[in-house]
Amino acid sequence: MIGTGASRRAFIAGTTAMAAGSLGLPSIGGAQAKPVKVGLIHPVTGFVAYNGQQSRLGATMAIEDLNRAGGVKSMGGAKLEAVLGDSQSKVEVGVSEVEKMNEAGVAAYVGCFQSPVGIAATQAAAKYNTPFLIDVGASDLLVKRGLKNVFRMKPGFGRCVDDGIAALGALNKGAGGGAKTAVIVHESGEFGTGTAKLLAGKLPSIGIEAKELIAHDNPTRNFDNIALRIRSLAPHIVMMSNYGNEYMLLARTLFQQKVDLMGMFSVLGGGFNYKFVKEMADASQYMMDTNHWFNPLSASAQALKKRVEAGGALFTFEVYLSYTSVALLADALERAGSADKEKLIDALGKSTFKADLMPYGPTKFVDGQNEGGLPAVMQSLKGEIEVVAPAQFASAKAVFPRPKFN
Amino acid sequence: MPRRAAIWCALGLGAAVVYPLLFGGPAPLLWRSSYALNVAFLILFAAFIGQSWNVAGGFAGQTSFGHVVFFGTGAYVSTILHVTWGWNPWAAWPMAAAAGAIVGWLIATLSFRAGLRGSYFALITLAFAEAFRILANSAPFTRGGLGMLITADPRAANFQFRDPVWFYYVALALCVASLALAWWLTRSRFGARLVAIRENEDAARALGIDVFREKVRALTLSGAMCAAGGTVYAQKYLYIDPSIAFGVDKSVEMLLVSMIGGAGTVFGPLIGATALHLVGEVTRDLGNMVPGVKNAQPLALIVYGVILIAIVRYLPDGLMSLFRRARRRGGGA
Repeated sequence: MIGTGASRRAFIAGTTAMAAGSLGLPSIGGAQAKPVKVGLIHPVTGFVAYNGQQSRLGATMAIEDLNRAGGVKSMGGAKLEAVLGDSQSKVEVGVSEVEKMNEAGVAAYVGCFQSPVGIAATQAAAKYNTPFLIDVGASDLLVKRGLKNVFRMKPGFGRCVDDGIAALGALNKGAGGGAKTAVIVHESGEFGTGTAKLLAGKLPSIGIEAKELIAHDNPTRNFDNIALRIRSLAPHIVMMSNYGNEYMLLARTLFQQKVDLMGMFSVLGGGFNYKFVKEMADASQYMMDTNHWFNPLSASAQALKKRVEAGGALFTFEVYLSYTSVALLADALERAGSADKEKLIDALGKSTFKADLMPYGPTKFVDGQNEGGLPAVMQSLKGEIEVVAPAQFASAKAVFPRPKFN
Repeated sequence: MPRRAAIWCALGLGAAVVYPLLFGGPAPLLWRSSYALNVAFLILFAAFIGQSWNVAGGFAGQTSFGHVVFFGTGAYVSTILHVTWGWNPWAAWPMAAAAGAIVGWLIATLSFRAGLRGSYFALITLAFAEAFRILANSAPFTRGGLGMLITADPRAANFQFRDPVWFYYVALALCVASLALAWWLTRSRFGARLVAIRENEDAARALGIDVFREKVRALTLSGAMCAAGGTVYAQKYLYIDPSIAFGVDKSVEMLLVSMIGGAGTVFGPLIGATALHLVGEVTRDLGNMVPGVKNAQPLALIVYGVILIAIVRYLPDGLMSLFRRARRRGGGA
C-alpha cells in the first residue's frame, strides 16, 4: 500500500480510523436494545380462522403501537417482535408452535383462542417456565391447574355466568318475573358444555328452570331441527354458548321460524359482534349477550375501533382482548426491566395494570386469573351493540321482554 | 429380508436411535431443540397410527373412514382408568389396547356379518366413530364435552416425561414394532390371506380362505394398535375431549399417511408421515414469510393441498412407488 504512493502518515491515519470505526460500530449496535420476541399462537386457518385472524390483528397492532411509542423504556427502548404461529385448531400443532417459538427465543406467548389448544400449549410452555397470556380462551381449566406461567386478563366462563345470571335475574324481576323457563343451546366442546352446565345450575337461583340443554357439534350448518325442538319446548328464554358461525345460524333460524321468546340471552356467545349485528340486524334485534366488551366510554378504545374499521376489519372482541393482553405483557416487561422469564412471571403476578380499552379495574391475579376482569351485558338495538350492564358503562337501557312477532 | 434391505433398515434404525442425541440429552451434539424432537415424535406417531390403518386398509383392503374410533377408545379407556380409577397409566395402556381390539372385533363382526364391503364398510366405520363421539359427549363417565384433564406429574413412572426425548423413544419403539408387524404380514400366511382378500374377496373365498374370520382378525389387530396410540396421545398432551379423541381429522390423517406413502406396503405409512409432516411444517412457516402479506396461512394451506393432489395424481400407489421405480431402473441397468 505504501508503495502505491500513499504516505506512511496517511496510511497510519487511515488504518487508525478504520480500527476506530470497526470498534465503534458494535458500540453503536449495542445501543440498540435487543428486541423482545412475543409468540402469537392463534388458529388463523381452520374452522375458527376468522377469530384467530382477528386476534392476530389485535396483537400485532398492539406491538406496532408499543414500538411506535418507544418500545420498553426500562429495557433501553427494546422493541417487541411478533413471532407468528398457526395452531390450525389442533392441539398437537399448538404444542408444536410452542416448541418452535421457544427455540426462536420468545419471552412470552399470547394465544390460543380455543381452550383445548390453550390447555396443552400452556403446559408445553410451563416446561420452559415461559409466561403464557391467554387472550381469548374461556375455560376455567386454563387457570386452575396450578401452572405459574399462565395469566388470563379477561374473566373466565365462571365469572361471566355469575354476572350474566345476575343481570338476567334483575331484568326479569324488573319485567315482573314473567320468564320461568329456559333452553340452553351450546357447542359440544369444553367451553360450551362448561358454560351450559354452570348456567343450568344457577338459573334456579333467579327463578328460571332450564328445561333442556341442547348440544351441537362444530361445525353445524343447519339448526332447523334444534329450532323445532325449541319451539316444541316453548321456553321463555333461549340461552346460547357457542362459536361465531353457529351462533349466527341459530339466531337466524329462530328468527326465520318466528319462534316467540321473551328473550335470547347468551353467555359468551361467540357470534355476538358487529359482523352479526350489522349484517343481520333483524335477526339480532333485542338479542343479549354477556361477554367481553371494550369500554364504550374509553377514548382510546373508540380511537382503536376507528383505526380497525378504517383498515376494513371489524372491532370484534378478539381484537381488543389480544391487544390488551399484549399491552399487559408490555407493562410487565417495563416493570421487570428484563425479559428474564422468572422476573416477567413475577411482574405479571404482581401486576396492577389498568387496561384502558376494557371496563376493568386494575389487574389482580389469583392463580393466574385476573380478579379485576369484568364482563359486560350487551344488547343488539337497531343494528348497534349497546352496553346495558354494568350501569357505570351502560350506553343504553335494555329492552326486555322483546316484542312478539306479529 | 434381502441383505441390502436389511443393511438399510439397520442404518435407518441406528439413525433414528441416534437422532435425539443431536438435539437432546445432557449434551446435544448439534444444538438443543425440543422442536426437532417434537416434529420427529409427530412423524413417528403418525407413522404408527397410520400403520394401524394400513393393517386393515392397506393389507386387507378394508378401507376405513372412521379408524379414530379405536384411537379415541384407547385414549378414553386409559384416561378413565387412570384419572377416575387411579390406575397407573402404564398398567392402563394394555387395557386400552385390549379395548381397541374388542371394539375392532365388534365393528368387524357386525359389519362383515352383515356383508358390508367397500364404500359401505368405509361409511359404517365413520358412523361408528361418530356414535362413539356422541357417546363420549354425553356420558357422565367421560365428563362429556368438558373433556378429561390428566394432572401434569412428569415422572417416567407416571408415563409422563420431563424430557421430550422419552416420548420420542416411545413413538420410535411403537413405530419399529409396527414396521416389524407389517414386514411379518408380508411374509406370513395370515398376511398372504389378507392380501388375497384385498385383491379379490370372492376368489379368496373360493380358495378356501375363511374371509370373515381373517377380516375380523385384521380389524381386531388394527384396533388394538390404534388404541395403544390413543393412550400415548393422551399421556403426551394430558387432555382429551370428544372432538380431539374421536374427531374425523385423525381418521383422515391415518388414511392419508398410508395412502400417500403407499397403502399395503411396509414402509408406506412411515414415508407418508414423514412427507406430510415435513411439507406441513414448511408450508406453515412459509405462511408467515410472504412479504407484504400479514396472513398468508391460507395460501400455505393451498400449497399443501396442491402438493397432496400432485402426489395422488402422479403417484397413485404412493411415494413408495418412487423407490420401486428406482429399484427397477437400477435392476435394468
